[in-house]
Amino acid sequence: MRTRKWIKSISVLCAVIIATPFLAGCWDRLEIEERAVVLGVSIDTVDTEEAEQEEDEVSHVHGTLPAPRKGMVRVAVQIALPGRIPLGPGESGGGGKGSVGQTVWVIDVVGHSINDAFMNLQQQISSRLFFGHLRVIVVSEAVARRGLENVNDYFRRNSEVRRMAWLMISKGQARKLMMAAPPLERVPTLYLMSTLDEGIRMGKFPKDFIGMFWSNVSKKGQEGFLPYVEIKKEQNVEIKGLAYFVDDHMVGVTKPLEIAGYLAVKGINPAGYRVFVQLDGADEAVMTTATHRRSKISVQIKDDVPHFTIDIGIELNLEGKVSENVQIDNPAVMQMIENKQEEASVIFYSNIIKKSQEKGSDYFGFGEIVRAKKPQYWNKRIKTAEGWRNMYKDCTFDVKVSMKVRRIGMKGK
Amino acid sequence: MEPRQITVIQASAVLVSTIIGVGVLALPLFAVRAADSGGPLVTFLAVLLAFVGLALITWLGIRFPDQTIIRYSEVIIGRWLAWIGSMLIILFFAVLTSLTAREFGEVVVTSVLKSTPVEVTVIVMLLLAAISTRHGITTFAHIHTFYVPFLLIPVLVIVALSLKNAEAINLLPIWGNEQGGMLKGTLTVAALFQGAFILTAVIPAMKHPEKAMKASFWGMVIAGGLYIVIVAATISVFGSEEIKQLLWPTLELAKATTLPANILERLDAAFLAVWVTAVFTTLFSSYFFTIYAMSHLFRLREHKLFSYFILPFVFVMAMLPQNIIQMYEIIESVGRIGLIITTGYPGLLLIVSILRKKRGNRVADKKVDQID
Repeated sequence: MRTRKWIKSISVLCAVIIATPFLAGCWDRLEIEERAVVLGVSIDTVDTEEAEQEEDEVSHVHGTLPAPRKGMVRVAVQIALPGRIPLGPGESGGGGKGSVGQTVWVIDVVGHSINDAFMNLQQQISSRLFFGHLRVIVVSEAVARRGLENVNDYFRRNSEVRRMAWLMISKGQARKLMMAAPPLERVPTLYLMSTLDEGIRMGKFPKDFIGMFWSNVSKKGQEGFLPYVEIKKEQNVEIKGLAYFVDDHMVGVTKPLEIAGYLAVKGINPAGYRVFVQLDGADEAVMTTATHRRSKISVQIKDDVPHFTIDIGIELNLEGKVSENVQIDNPAVMQMIENKQEEASVIFYSNIIKKSQEKGSDYFGFGEIVRAKKPQYWNKRIKTAEGWRNMYKDCTFDVKVSMKVRRIGMKGK
Repeated sequence: MEPRQITVIQASAVLVSTIIGVGVLALPLFAVRAADSGGPLVTFLAVLLAFVGLALITWLGIRFPDQTIIRYSEVIIGRWLAWIGSMLIILFFAVLTSLTAREFGEVVVTSVLKSTPVEVTVIVMLLLAAISTRHGITTFAHIHTFYVPFLLIPVLVIVALSLKNAEAINLLPIWGNEQGGMLKGTLTVAALFQGAFILTAVIPAMKHPEKAMKASFWGMVIAGGLYIVIVAATISVFGSEEIKQLLWPTLELAKATTLPANILERLDAAFLAVWVTAVFTTLFSSYFFTIYAMSHLFRLREHKLFSYFILPFVFVMAMLPQNIIQMYEIIESVGRIGLIITTGYPGLLLIVSILRKKRGNRVADKKVDQID
């Protein structure tokens, strides 16, 4: 009996000893300080000769790999400094008027491709690069015009990258946006991100995360578009328009107000743009703000070419007037404002569409409507993304707008 | 020897949790390759096809309520022919087990445990299944019933939340623009339902085997419905062309989905946790069926003996595919060949048994697994 008890307790002990290292969970720990958490990435073009000088032989031996036809890239990353990022409002940490370098560390490298650049970077820093918290990728216009194939491939393949990150195109150098340190947010990339997130909430920008951009690029009847941003003198960021694509090449950019046009054509809510409405004279202008948009797009095939009827309805509030020449005190005036704005809008929306037709970039996704609603026509005449690009230029549009001014604020007339 | 204990609800739970498995990750890709925006339709056709196969084995099971397919096939077509058929079934399920384990390993190594060798993840999963198979069929049914809510609820939650980004236009036209691969795609997707064959082992242990058809109907409705919902949600969020660019669209869907108020900004980790359970139950079923069928073929009293015996074979087979592309090719072709075994063979048996007017004993409250 005694020996049996002994054996039993010994075997329990053995089991506990064997199980401990597995259950304790520290054998493969990775401290947060030992990870290089990448918050933002910027991608710029770089002069090839200069870059080859700068690049070390990390992923290939010099001279063996010709510089890619699209040119080499300069990649800058923002790495979070653990411990410096304050967690609550009470901590002083990296707050205040800080410049970049207090909460994040910006490093830049060159490479033949995005992946190559990251490998060069990894060679230079001790901790493992971690992309799980990557929120913003800024690509300079020059890179975007050459094509984003490689950028899309790299970030799509990487399992850590979220589909909810933002990809944006910068006017001028993209690296400047990594270096910027707007005083509102303690982490610069979070400021960039909130510029766009708030834009969505205020009705100034469509939802266009990197995952949605990818989906749009893939679709046969739609092209991708991305936010086009510029850094201003106080290190603030302006959304300057939509950069639109043909396949993965950027071909053009809209004006900021044309984003409103896009949103109206797609009927995206909430609405948030304010526009001037010119009444009779130069002084008689009022400003209205859109509060709700709806839109209905239908398609017919006329003479073997798709004809779209876009029916847009917008609810408005009157926000202000330039002078007292206009008296807003009777329904006729309201009616006039509505009519004037309708006239202006029809032309405005038609022009945006016309411009996109000229570039052959259907970033609205009219082609998807044809594919979905007129499959027989699509299968017979269009079939591919290439086919739609050609057809889009010949499509005809009929834009109908109905504006309704509902409220005028707290002033009586 | 166990008494007949499995209820109709448990039998359908076994079906649901067996069917929902490793395949959900690649499912939208298979469906979209067949007929782009017609993916949900392809899945629906596949569900119908799979239900035909399931109905055949249920019907056979009702005709022979006391025996598994291994035993009644001997009654129907004679000992030697049946022996060949049974060997094929056993071999097929052994291969299915190993491929499930390997696919699981590949996903885990690619997306979460990047520095763990694939051998480790595979062997851990197989061991887990092997240990669990050392119990009787009643315990087997209990384990499945226990896990079903853990499979269904989180998947439905993710699908519901993902609909925030959905666009209905991606689902049109419902029959797809290019239906070239419709037939092949339907077969590929239908092959994901083959785990349902486990019902042949469950029926002889059911309290009321005559109600087995009810179990298989509900099992297929729930599992098939979930599959259709997953495909529809994935296509409506990404669009069919984007899905062709993704290896595991369902995982990507979880990645693109956030809990309200940004409590969790990506649900792929949560989804993978659920999916591990789903893989386990599928693996458990196919492993269990392999050894259960073997013990019946060799007329052994116990199947436990084989639990560890086949482990090395299954493991080695799991390691055979050289890379992930080859693995998916093998999975697709094995799946389609398997349809002959899991649908064609029972169909043949049923026809012969009707022609030869063979049927088993009427069910009495007897013990299962009796050796005659």
